[in-house]
Amino acid sequence: MLYSYLKKTATATGLILMMMLQNSYALNNYPHISKSNKTSFMPSPIKGKVLDSYGHPLQGVQISIKGNPSVVTTKEDGSFEIPAILENVLVFQHPMFNVQEWTIKNENEIAVRLAERYLQSPDETAVLYERKQRDEILGSVASVYTNQLTTTPASLYAYALPGRLPGLFTQQTRGFLIPNSTAATEQGFLSIIPNASVVGTTGPTDNNEILLSLRGQTPVTIVDGVQRDIYSLDPETIESVTVLKDALSSILLGQRSSRGVLLVTTKKAQAGPPKVSFTAQTGLQTPIKKRSVLNASQYAYLYNEARLNGGLTPTYTLNDFTAYQDGSQPYSHPNVDWFDAITEEYSPMSRYNLNINGGGSTARYGISLGYFNQEGMFKTDETVPYNTNAGLERYLINSNIEVNVTENFNVGLQLFGRIQDVNEPGASINTLLSNLGNTPNNAYPMFNPNGTYGGSNQRTSNLYANTVNSGYRLSNTKDLLANIDLTYKFDNWVPGLWAKAKSNVSVTSANTIDRSKSSQVFDFIVAEGDTSYTPFGNTVDQRNNYGLTSSGHYVFYQASVGYDKQFKEHNLSTMVLADQNKAGFNFDLPGTYTNIATKASYNFQQKYFAEAALTYSGYDRYRPGNQFGFFYAAGLGWNIANENFIQQNANWVNVLKLRATYGKTGDASDAGYFTWRQSYFDVFIPYNFGANHTAFNGTNESALANLDVTWEKAHKFNIGVDINLFNNHWQFTGDYFRDKYYDLMQTRGRSSLLIGNTYNPENIGINRYTGAEFNLTYQNSIRGFNYYITANVSSLQSKVLFMDELVREYEWNQRTGQRIGQQFGWIADGLIQTAEEAAQSPRVAGYTPQPGDIKYKDLNNDGIINQFDEAPIGNTKPLIFYGTTLGFNFKGLDASVLIQGVKNVTYGGGDWIFGLGLSGPEQAYPEFLDRWTPENPTATYPRLTLGENLNNSPMSTFYLKSGDYFRVKNLEVGYTLPYKWTNKIKVAGVRLFANGQNLFTESAYDVLDPETQRNGSVYPIQKVYNTGVNIRF
Amino acid sequence: MKKYFNTIVFAALILSTWSCSKDVEDVPLERYTEEYLWNTSDSLGNNASQFLVNIYNYTPNGFNRIGNDFLAAASDDAVSSALSVTSVQRMATGGITPFANPDNVWGNYYAGIRRATMFINNIDKVPLATKLPSGAPLKAAWKAEARFLRALFYFELVKRYGGVPIVGDEIRTLNDNVEIPRSSFAACIQYIVDECDLAKTDLRLDPVLDADAGRVTKGAAYALKARALLYAASPLYNGGNIQENSEYTGYSNYMVERWKLAADAAKEIMDLNSFQLLPNFKNVFITYPNREVIFARQGGNNTNVETTNGPIGYAGNSQGRTSPTQELVDSFGMLNGSTIADPAYDPTNPYKNRDPRLAATVLYNGAQWLNRTLETFEGGFAKPGGVIQQTKTGYYLRKFMGNFENANAYSNVNRNFILFRYAEVLLNYAEAQNEYLTSPNAEVRAAVELIRQRAGLNPYQLPVDLTKEQMREIIQNERRKELAFEEHRFWDIRRWKIAGNVYNKPLHGMLIQKGTSGVLSYQEVPVLTTVFTEPKMYFYPIPYDEVVKNSNMKQNPGW
Repeated sequence: MLYSYLKKTATATGLILMMMLQNSYALNNYPHISKSNKTSFMPSPIKGKVLDSYGHPLQGVQISIKGNPSVVTTKEDGSFEIPAILENVLVFQHPMFNVQEWTIKNENEIAVRLAERYLQSPDETAVLYERKQRDEILGSVASVYTNQLTTTPASLYAYALPGRLPGLFTQQTRGFLIPNSTAATEQGFLSIIPNASVVGTTGPTDNNEILLSLRGQTPVTIVDGVQRDIYSLDPETIESVTVLKDALSSILLGQRSSRGVLLVTTKKAQAGPPKVSFTAQTGLQTPIKKRSVLNASQYAYLYNEARLNGGLTPTYTLNDFTAYQDGSQPYSHPNVDWFDAITEEYSPMSRYNLNINGGGSTARYGISLGYFNQEGMFKTDETVPYNTNAGLERYLINSNIEVNVTENFNVGLQLFGRIQDVNEPGASINTLLSNLGNTPNNAYPMFNPNGTYGGSNQRTSNLYANTVNSGYRLSNTKDLLANIDLTYKFDNWVPGLWAKAKSNVSVTSANTIDRSKSSQVFDFIVAEGDTSYTPFGNTVDQRNNYGLTSSGHYVFYQASVGYDKQFKEHNLSTMVLADQNKAGFNFDLPGTYTNIATKASYNFQQKYFAEAALTYSGYDRYRPGNQFGFFYAAGLGWNIANENFIQQNANWVNVLKLRATYGKTGDASDAGYFTWRQSYFDVFIPYNFGANHTAFNGTNESALANLDVTWEKAHKFNIGVDINLFNNHWQFTGDYFRDKYYDLMQTRGRSSLLIGNTYNPENIGINRYTGAEFNLTYQNSIRGFNYYITANVSSLQSKVLFMDELVREYEWNQRTGQRIGQQFGWIADGLIQTAEEAAQSPRVAGYTPQPGDIKYKDLNNDGIINQFDEAPIGNTKPLIFYGTTLGFNFKGLDASVLIQGVKNVTYGGGDWIFGLGLSGPEQAYPEFLDRWTPENPTATYPRLTLGENLNNSPMSTFYLKSGDYFRVKNLEVGYTLPYKWTNKIKVAGVRLFANGQNLFTESAYDVLDPETQRNGSVYPIQKVYNTGVNIRF
Repeated sequence: MKKYFNTIVFAALILSTWSCSKDVEDVPLERYTEEYLWNTSDSLGNNASQFLVNIYNYTPNGFNRIGNDFLAAASDDAVSSALSVTSVQRMATGGITPFANPDNVWGNYYAGIRRATMFINNIDKVPLATKLPSGAPLKAAWKAEARFLRALFYFELVKRYGGVPIVGDEIRTLNDNVEIPRSSFAACIQYIVDECDLAKTDLRLDPVLDADAGRVTKGAAYALKARALLYAASPLYNGGNIQENSEYTGYSNYMVERWKLAADAAKEIMDLNSFQLLPNFKNVFITYPNREVIFARQGGNNTNVETTNGPIGYAGNSQGRTSPTQELVDSFGMLNGSTIADPAYDPTNPYKNRDPRLAATVLYNGAQWLNRTLETFEGGFAKPGGVIQQTKTGYYLRKFMGNFENANAYSNVNRNFILFRYAEVLLNYAEAQNEYLTSPNAEVRAAVELIRQRAGLNPYQLPVDLTKEQMREIIQNERRKELAFEEHRFWDIRRWKIAGNVYNKPLHGMLIQKGTSGVLSYQEVPVLTTVFTEPKMYFYPIPYDEVVKNSNMKQNPGW
């Protein structure tokens, strides 16, 4: 698999290299005067105008005549004048736009519209709470910009991130939003008082589809300077998504600084005539992979075999098999492919966005409206008067206004609103999916002869009835976010001194409306010529229940004062900052983070850089007196390219920067909920007293108080290099990091149950993450053909250094020293073939092995297979993930492809167990056909048995597969209509595009999608084909 | 300057909201502290009483307790009907290990013990003024309730693991040492007996007020003491210690006096005259409150037992989870009190003229249920074959269910799981007294006859010339019939040290075939072969984690 990836990459790289050679030649020639192009005509001035994609004038575009070194630059109104003659080729260049060539025809006045580059590398990058010159950044920071986000047809911008940012590992675990339809009750919340995994990370988030992991940690998401888990912004309104990976970049977060940051910056209002952009797009989704199932006859055969293996008599007779095969008795012997029965192959998705942006030098505005609609895959019944399919509808409004109150005083106001409606069948998406996994084809017919729903004593609900006729559930989420930014420059008094204040309030609230119902099913029995229908299950009329599922309110204040000073060749910038972030979620008391921080950066001649920051940060869920701590970080950098000896001798080196950062960061997200406080709480498991069974509520003791609980800490070290060569056509970034996390919240080893209470996590563990990330970009143009390739690869290794592990009797049982979260299990040694072999094989307690069972390595040679024989199984090598984007833009035609992949992951799972179900046997899959029988000694699946098998069911190497994969994650082709056509109808630009998501996947193990991992009952990841149009004026 | 004035005011305003006073408390006050719980000014003790209520939640609830099966399905009385290998089947086939034990109660009971101790230690801080009808202080009764519950939790541990660590009256916090060694079996029994003795003086008298039904009473403390002493006198511990010189697994010698102690303790309850047998055996489990029940795990009113264990094939989706074995059915004997070896037994009509408790315990082919005659012959509606869960033995559970023979549908039934009832006390007494004496006397016979009389045996009287051994056999069988599915058999076969013989052989079901003429033929077929490794399986292994986490913890022999 990797081989073919490499082959493809090599071919692409080869092509690019060829172009590059050709072009370097062109480049070399370009600055010189080419004398060959002499002409007898006298050059006459050509007037023209350069426009951006909105038809607005573009300033600062450099225009030259091919073969001529002299350059003119466009003025503020985009106009230029250049002496040129017929058939001369004008070359338009601008760092943010694709190079365009224009051949002079018989015209005096031309209008040229430039297209934005796909890969942007602006000089300024948004970092935490500020913007910084890219050259001055010492930490490890990577960004993607608007264009890389808009090509992805999906409900969340997070879908566009896989493969694009070095260091950011993603895993898509399902293909559709699963709404929370459990109403929050006081009781519910008291019994799930936030624990380590809840606080801080799962406030309400709209992303339960894509796991993001930045250097092994879940990053803190910051949208425009404020922490909120919002992943559903309209990609067109996002200026950039940046990951901050090292200690110095995130240190201002204090007690949240350990986990790295996913920084989302939305587009700010810009001065100029109104820019209007409208996008309409619509697409079709289809599951990437449908799991094949066995038909009724095959299922029955295997079932009989499993019964015989268990010493039971077979269930199905020859007549049954005949009936299943010829389908002659579809009611008593059904054969229903349930996935096909309840799902449509294609489901639509559409999105409309309108963005307006403009203003003058005193006031500017930006407005973005978005509508998104995604339908689920379930079938509906036309006679049902409401929608029962899963569906997501989302309305977004984002507006910002910026006013220069005075020359030095700037006020910005941002308002963000979102309404999200999720519909699902009354039986709930999850129920349908899990029932799909445990309903074999012969379970019951969809309908009985009399039109009632089929079912049985064991299966009291009908999958089809649950899909189309179980009512519906609606979940509504409403978000409102208001942001105010004040900036004041004291330039009149002290030049370089400034002050900023920021205030943010936001609320979120989600509720659910349950209008589900259920219908009875009937078992159709033919006995001695008589037919009868036995009802099972209950008829429940449509409910109408309303409940609040979650609500949150957030307040954030920040004030900062800074001083920037340049004297001679010294550049100094300092800042003092204070902020407070208060988040209240549901019934919890609000948690408040407070930071007081200072930061200073200095450079000499843009060659030598130094930066340091100190944060005093507190979290109020720790014990008073124990809430605040110091965190610090510092960095050094050296841009060798700015040294004279490089500038004079190798001016093709644009940037050659070495940089390193080190810091001590903190993380309070595992603080727990006031675990330092020994407390008592009401339990709502009543106990009955009295002759009438009167319920009394009890009071219980909470877990053992941990008075000393404190934040987790990390020492993070990062070293990196940035190299830009040949006019920035080549860009390389490399990083190596070594992050040691300590005081991690873990339960102590000697947590004996004798104490009679549960132990709270304590600051115990030490983990280390190490890894490297590389990103290489090349972009260039040849005769107006602009092309680029950018590739990144990251590796991540981890090690448990300390975890208060109890003495293990055998070294192979040791968790310490292994990767974090290393899977442990038995090591399979093939299948037992003969009775003699079975008799000699080590055995699991309570189980007598038989031929066809998995044989395990008895590591401690005691004849028994148990915990002592568990060893690390699955992958232990560093995780590798990579992505490559390549594309071009030529005369209005553009295309881009993203290839993304993961290596060294293990796919292991529970989707192999035959006949394991509490309420009866589950569905069977083609993998079971290759089960062990005496005639099939080389089987890939053990002999069939019913239910959990003590020997064959536990996780072992027998079931582990490689989870490596790579995909063509995204592909887009677009065509922008020529300006002279669209200008006639006063439209600046019309771009038609088609894109696709998850178009092709190659995975080492391909029964199910490698990302969803093991669980067959999740909403499948979708492949999307999408087309649309973007109009700008 | 004026032009900046507004700006500055605005900025100041923004900054000032920052330092606003808090509008919520600093710590979650709904999670209250000790001071609130042991409120020194609450003469009603409301908060403390809630804490006591919660301790009751740690008592065992025997209905389908082990992975949705009755513990009895791990003995020779029943098997699980589940199609897959269930937890209880793993127990029956030797699948208990230190790493995985389906009946893993270690943590539950030590949690209960901690909470009971907290209550005992702290309740004196509460100025509870209420008096019981007898004039005794309620506070003392409450304290005694916690004391009884703690003793009960210890007993539940001891019967599984042998001697366990007695953690005492200390409440340990995070950094306290909990590496407590095991106490000897003898010390544990002594502790339980002493605690019962301490508790019984202050507990409520039986019968209690209706409002207090379900509370621990004096009788419960007596009954626990009697049962603990009976167990301690039993062969496994009293002379039959599986590891000589191991103080954890029993006494080092046999002493007949231990039987005497057990008999006397049982006699004490009988002499209280607070309890009596209900006339109708079936109603013992569904009548509430009733005078036979000494202490029960309180449930509510529901149909859970019926829907989980009731025969399949009826509307209402019963799952038929429990399949009583032929061995249990055979033990019930005949209406005239004899065994099925008696000529009155008709193998072609095996359920006729049987001990009436059979029909009250097991649903067999031809029994009346929900207005219909039960069919468990092959292909009958309650044993249709195919892929669905159904009886494996031809029998379904009847015990604990409401009297639904002639009802159309299940309705809610009282679901208290009886932990102690008077019938057991009588049998405890008979057993201990019989073992103490060289040959059974009238008192022994009288106790057993009370049971047999209530059961409806005719004649119920026992012969006067029974030997000690014959009497033992009768008592053991009587226990099996009377207390089936009440979590006794599983422990009885262990303490009698007969498990090695009871297990390690196939359990049977009845395969009933309907001939062409409608005549039924009966054939016993094996359904499950049980496994029991002697002697180690007489005790559960201490959970592995508890052994490695505590350097003073000794594992049980053989594990």
